[in-house]
Amino acid sequence: MAGKPGERPTEEQTADALLERPGEPERIGPLVLERHVKDDGRALILYTHDRRARS
Amino acid sequence: MSDLRFEELRGEEVTYAIHRQDRTFLPSREHCPLDPTKPGGEPTEIPFPSFEIAVFDNRFPAFEAPKGAAEVVVYTEEHDASFATLSAERAEDLMWVWRHRYLELGAREDVDYVYIFENRGVEVGVTLHHPHGQIYGYPFLPPVARLELEADRRLGGCAPCALLRRELDDEQRILIENDGAVVYVPYAARWAYEAHVVMRRHRASLLECEPEELRSLSLALQTLVRGYDALFDRPFPYVMAVHQAPTAAASRPDADAAGQGHLHVEFYPPLRTAEKLKYLAGSEQGEGAFISDTLPEESAARLREAIACAG
Repeated sequence: MAGKPGERPTEEQTADALLERPGEPERIGPLVLERHVKDDGRALILYTHDRRARS
Repeated sequence: MSDLRFEELRGEEVTYAIHRQDRTFLPSREHCPLDPTKPGGEPTEIPFPSFEIAVFDNRFPAFEAPKGAAEVVVYTEEHDASFATLSAERAEDLMWVWRHRYLELGAREDVDYVYIFENRGVEVGVTLHHPHGQIYGYPFLPPVARLELEADRRLGGCAPCALLRRELDDEQRILIENDGAVVYVPYAARWAYEAHVVMRRHRASLLECEPEELRSLSLALQTLVRGYDALFDRPFPYVMAVHQAPTAAASRPDADAAGQGHLHVEFYPPLRTAEKLKYLAGSEQGEGAFISDTLPEESAARLREAIACAG
């Protein structure tokens, strides 16, 4: 959960919100994230709706 | 790298991003850089043959680390779609993407304010037609965010909460209501068809929203923009501006800004009729004083009809 309204989110909150689990893809809400680095070094994130039932 | 200069007379930062002069400008349909990269085809910004929502660092950034961020959010691989034509699921997914970007960019020490926005239509300066928005991570508190915080102080509490109560009591300018969000033409709208989409409960940012509220927000946004397109039976240009709490660190001089704000989305459409644009001219540019040709109550009535037709 977020902290006080408008507070800079902490790393802990970020990790919690993303529901990161070792060995599992990064998620937020109904989405799965894939992080990439483009040839010129810029970041690219693909967000895909996870249509599988979540355990 | 951009350069910031403080404009003393207006008390605000001006950003010089001169590399943006060479950014891609209205490419032909077959050279769209936001399309997926088809096998054997011209490489685009997204080197994959298919995607749902993509976010990447802007190739021509107004801000970049270690002084802020500039990202592009591509809503769909469908070149001819728009936010209005996305499926309800995709629009709701976009709310989660916004939330994620607010979370990640807001955690950065060099980002004081995360601003999510969409420019739609050449009338507001769009250079790529593929449906997309942008995100700026400002390394300072921008003027409008500062003014909204001043409004909180002036009204002795959350200004958007107070204004929402006033609009709900008055009823005249309400366009859309659902469980999580309310849409209205504000009492003192500056643009003919300006509309504000305001979270019904006090939510400083997307991070505080329950999943159901994100769904309500996406539904309200899509209902509004579909109504906009129906108003003059044409793609309706607008600037869509997501306003949330600043993320400035407590150690910064403007730390009193942290912890304040109320998630709402403002739309500034430049059309005042089907063919006439509102220009920011002498009064607006020279003195910051808007002069409008339309009454908000009359605009709201027209928009309600358009929304009903689009529904």
